[in-house]
Amino acid sequence: MRGGLSAILQTLTPEAASVLTRSVEEAARRKHGQTTPLHVAATLVAASSGLLRRACVSSLSDTVHPLRCRALDLCFSVALDRLPCSSSSSGGGGGSGADSTAEPPMSNALKAALKRAQAHQRRGCPEQQQTPLLAVKVELAQLVISILDDPSVSRVMREASFSSTAVKAVVEQSLSSSSSSSSTTAPASTFTSPASPAIFASSLGGGLSHNLSIHASPARNLYMNPRFYQHRHSSGATAGGGLEEPRREEVKRVMDILLRSEKRNPVLVGDSHPDAVMKEVLQKIESGDAPPPLQTAQVVSFAKQLATAAVASDLSWIPAWIRELGASIESEMSRGHGVVLDLGDLSWLVESPGGASIASAGSQTRQIVCEVGRVVVAEMGKLVKRFEDHGRLCLVGTATSATYLRCQVYYPAMENDWDLQVLPIASRPRTFPKLGVIGNLSSSAVAAITRSQPPDGADSSGKILCSVCMESYKHQLARLVTEEIKKSPSKVEDNKALPKWLQLAKLSNGGGTKPSTSLLQAKEEEQELMGKQSTEELLKKWQDTCSRLHPSFSHTVLLGSPQPDSDLTLFRNLVHRRKIMLNASSEQPCSLPRSPVKTDLVLGNSRASNALLEKTHAERVKDFTECTQDGFSIQQRAKVTGISEKDAFKRLLKGLTEKVGWQQEAASAVATALMHSKPENWKRPGGGAKGDTWLLLIGPDKVGKRTMATALSETLFGTAPTMVRFGGTSTCSNGDDGESNMVSRGRTPMDRVSEAVRRNPFSVVVLEDIDQADGVVQGGIKRAMERGRLLDSYGREVSLGSVIFVLTSSWLPEELRSRHESLILLEEKILHSVGHGWQLELSAEKNPGKRCADWLGNGDQPTKLRKQSSCGVGLSLDLNLAVAMEDAAGEGSWNSSDLTTEHEHENGRLAVKCSTSSSASQWMELVENTIMFNPVDFSPLRRTVSDSISTKFATVMGDGCSIKVDEDAVDRIVAGVWLAGAAFDEWSERVLIPNLRQLKCNLQADDGVVVVRLSVVKGGPAKSPGDREWLPTSVAIAVDGLWTT
Amino acid sequence: MGIVEEAHNLRVIGRADGGRGTIVLAHGFGTDQSVWKHLVPHLVEEYRVVLFDNMGAGTTNPDDFDFDRYTTLEGYALDLLAILEELRLGPCIFVGHSVSAAIGAIASISRPDLFSKLVMLSASPRYLNDVDYFGGFEQEELDQLFDAMRSNYKAWVSGFAPLAVGGDMDSVAVQEFSRTLFNIRPDIALCVAQTIFQSDLREILGLVMVPCHILQSSKDLAVPVVVSEYLHRNLGGESIVEVMSSEGHLPQLSSPDIVIPVLLRHIRYDIAV
Repeated sequence: MRGGLSAILQTLTPEAASVLTRSVEEAARRKHGQTTPLHVAATLVAASSGLLRRACVSSLSDTVHPLRCRALDLCFSVALDRLPCSSSSSGGGGGSGADSTAEPPMSNALKAALKRAQAHQRRGCPEQQQTPLLAVKVELAQLVISILDDPSVSRVMREASFSSTAVKAVVEQSLSSSSSSSSTTAPASTFTSPASPAIFASSLGGGLSHNLSIHASPARNLYMNPRFYQHRHSSGATAGGGLEEPRREEVKRVMDILLRSEKRNPVLVGDSHPDAVMKEVLQKIESGDAPPPLQTAQVVSFAKQLATAAVASDLSWIPAWIRELGASIESEMSRGHGVVLDLGDLSWLVESPGGASIASAGSQTRQIVCEVGRVVVAEMGKLVKRFEDHGRLCLVGTATSATYLRCQVYYPAMENDWDLQVLPIASRPRTFPKLGVIGNLSSSAVAAITRSQPPDGADSSGKILCSVCMESYKHQLARLVTEEIKKSPSKVEDNKALPKWLQLAKLSNGGGTKPSTSLLQAKEEEQELMGKQSTEELLKKWQDTCSRLHPSFSHTVLLGSPQPDSDLTLFRNLVHRRKIMLNASSEQPCSLPRSPVKTDLVLGNSRASNALLEKTHAERVKDFTECTQDGFSIQQRAKVTGISEKDAFKRLLKGLTEKVGWQQEAASAVATALMHSKPENWKRPGGGAKGDTWLLLIGPDKVGKRTMATALSETLFGTAPTMVRFGGTSTCSNGDDGESNMVSRGRTPMDRVSEAVRRNPFSVVVLEDIDQADGVVQGGIKRAMERGRLLDSYGREVSLGSVIFVLTSSWLPEELRSRHESLILLEEKILHSVGHGWQLELSAEKNPGKRCADWLGNGDQPTKLRKQSSCGVGLSLDLNLAVAMEDAAGEGSWNSSDLTTEHEHENGRLAVKCSTSSSASQWMELVENTIMFNPVDFSPLRRTVSDSISTKFATVMGDGCSIKVDEDAVDRIVAGVWLAGAAFDEWSERVLIPNLRQLKCNLQADDGVVVVRLSVVKGGPAKSPGDREWLPTSVAIAVDGLWTT
Repeated sequence: MGIVEEAHNLRVIGRADGGRGTIVLAHGFGTDQSVWKHLVPHLVEEYRVVLFDNMGAGTTNPDDFDFDRYTTLEGYALDLLAILEELRLGPCIFVGHSVSAAIGAIASISRPDLFSKLVMLSASPRYLNDVDYFGGFEQEELDQLFDAMRSNYKAWVSGFAPLAVGGDMDSVAVQEFSRTLFNIRPDIALCVAQTIFQSDLREILGLVMVPCHILQSSKDLAVPVVVSEYLHRNLGGESIVEVMSSEGHLPQLSSPDIVIPVLLRHIRYDIAV
């Protein structure tokens, strides 16, 4: 179980913690599965001088029966006995020892109680102070209060004839008297506490234990903002009625109560100005505006008398005054007038004249107030009795919930003796004008709703029947009750004065052992419960019937609920009903517009790649193609239109492989992906078919990716694709050109994309190195992907149509990158080598031994040697000369001696790429299809090129001399061949051989030259942008410093 | 729909069966659940996603705003617990932005069983500087801020939004933040801001035992980067810090391209132990 005991104990003061610890021990001792609030309550009660026990005693108004406290112990003991044992300890005898030592975890109810206590505790703290949740230690008193709020505890208390509410009030008062600063907040908090109202409602409602569950469940959520309750219903009323309408309603209700034959003395209970309503009622009566019997009634203001008394700070005259009053009332009545006695705010009954509450006043004053109050209540009761038959004396009064509760606590007889009817006044008007009920509410209906005697107190659940149904219900109930009585004759004799626990005590005194009494009680309880359940069922049945037959009636429930605090429950029911009624019209939108982005990661997903770390690239690609092809074939099989699509697929695949033969797997993956996503079954979630297709090509081989895109475009649409490059200067193309191009034309890349899309909605748009685009562009593309519309920098929207977007990125999962690092570096180097102004030069060297002095100091040797061994196969490369030439050529060229710096450069780039890799991987998650490209191995091509040059040289020049081809020259030729896709042979025929011939002619005059060198020199004509010719069209020939072209 | 759901505009979307788990997205000050619009689409396929508005957000009923309850962050924490209790979806991955990260932390102390981990975006345990602590604000600055809010809320919003987001007034994110900020009733906004800026969670960080993923913009007006380090060092449970290259206090709105992948990673993966 989480959050162990120790953690919870930290939140309690030592006093409270020890109670909790003992409770847990008790639960363990009894082998209970959980520690419940009952355990805690039992522990609290067991301490003879404990707070709870003292509170229980002082909650009783009259002298304490010696047996009553014993009853409390007994009832808790019985309740604990009834709790189920933990299954494990009852199961095996052997294991029980170990189990019993373990701490039984807290039950949810107990946890909830602790949370409540915490919340209350915090409320008590000074407001300004920042008190973290745990900085507050729960004091014992708060623990007691929250434990008393627990339904199971209050049930047991009631069995012992204690009101948990009353006890709680006492505890609260002791709290408030101890800390005067929080005297107002503490009691108030219990009223706003989310859990307590429901419990109040039921515990005040007349001892229906099984009702608790019904009440407790709606208010289960202990963390809830209590305001939600207050405002939920007010919204409806404020929308429709304003304040006047409900006020009138309430006045009407008061009048109706006054007109009843019993329970006709209304007390308006509410926390927001019940006196305003009362004032209006009295005004009405005084002005003769009331219905017949009240029309002539005289209003006697008790409150006014009281006000003068308050100054004298002496209440002892009141009883005498009441007796006097009796005489004057009699004289009024003899003249045929009724009398309405306005009691004003009942707070004078429970508060000393100074305004302090009984508890906070000194014990002496308290005593006096109590004494006086009791006498007043008795006198007033007599008065009411006396004029009962005349039916013309009415008491009216107001009280806040707290005041009324205290009245009930201190003067339990008051409600009955005074024949009071509580009329809850909501803080806000609670009506639902939308339903149009209030308007047509007839007074007779109101009279019927404000039930007279709630039968068996059962309908404190707040549901009310209309007059017709109520009649039938009562009828059936009576029958049921007589049946019940017949069934359990033992119960008939139960004498009303003696609470149940006393009967129990009698029994146990009469020799019954404890188990038997508990058994007996349990049985009795069960019977009672059954009876109540059937009563409840009956009520429910009629309620259902009523709401079915008289639907409009069920919405008038607000009126005349008997208990001040049951309105929450009531109101919940209402809310619930309203919900059902309005459901059809006001359905809540329940889901966000779903994004169309479907993450269909086939490969390269970072998670997958982590998992597949061991696999070689080839395996991965194979896996990938297999799996997509599988997916494809499944889809194919499912489709009936197999043939034409298969043809299209074949055609596409053929077109692609022809062009990009070296990326066979990628080609088939691209074809598969396209065929897979092309059908219209790809719907953009949120509506609309999705015509656009997105492909992401990742990995090295820039040329391969570009060629693939071109081939795709040409195969599908017969046009060249629109290329938008984001890679900056590091691209193999004239990167600067591309960049400056965009800038010079004053358009953003997005504009170019949208323009391309607008121009031809059936085309391929290539976004090269998308992961290197800036955030705005990436964001724009992503949005386009989601919405199917592209926004250019002018805010114009373009539909994506059926465009195929090919995004490329050279990003590779890290482990693949490191595996192929050398190949990737080589590719980058080779591709870097083009794009700068350069030209080939054939030079005949006469003194081949020339060395550069500082060559060794350069420190480049190892690198060069490695490079030489790795790629200079079959070539005798004269490195000395290369260096010499490079020095002559100047700085900045991508020459082999720059390798070290380049290497570093590359490392730097790698590092950067690693950090931004999330961008690329993010794209992979966004785009439906990701296709990985293999790195290209250039060494075969290099070998072919250099071999071919040597061969050609030999055929042209004869055996007399040899050719040395600079590595750099090879690279550039390779790059040119690679990028242009041109045939090397064609180029050498056209360019190289004529130049060689010319060289031969030049050399003819000069004997003894044995080495001809093909090298790269800086300079030469800069290439115009868009020049598709990657290889030089001419080769310079240098003999003895003479340059000819 | 219960009262809690209605009051908080609670929405549960995505996988009805829970998928890989439940994610609760909690917005920070001045925003509402729409601040997660860039993130939500990435989650709904795999997770059950719970969205709600904190009390006091522009989209909630001002009448429900209890000025007493919300003078401390615990009021919000109780709200959060109320929501989680109401939903009964078991332990969740809690993604809290700004103040909601703090709220989540408080709630997790009280009910660790409801949280499997906390992803804290732009969180701060305390905004005020202190003797051994750099929170980024001095009391005078805060007083000025509150005064500005009091005197002319609209003007304050148009000044505060670009600062907080870290962009110019025309950027979409700033507009969005201004919109949600302006939706709040000024007195409520002031109350919320005061509660947030005066909050101090440093004492209770050690009690947070749920694993925490601390995500932080490299440049944030409200939360200096050192704060995330402070969180990391003082949280009671496991924690991990990632400082993202994004800027501003609402990076999930202003730089989703940077933040969303990071968020997703931290949602999907737990801290390796």
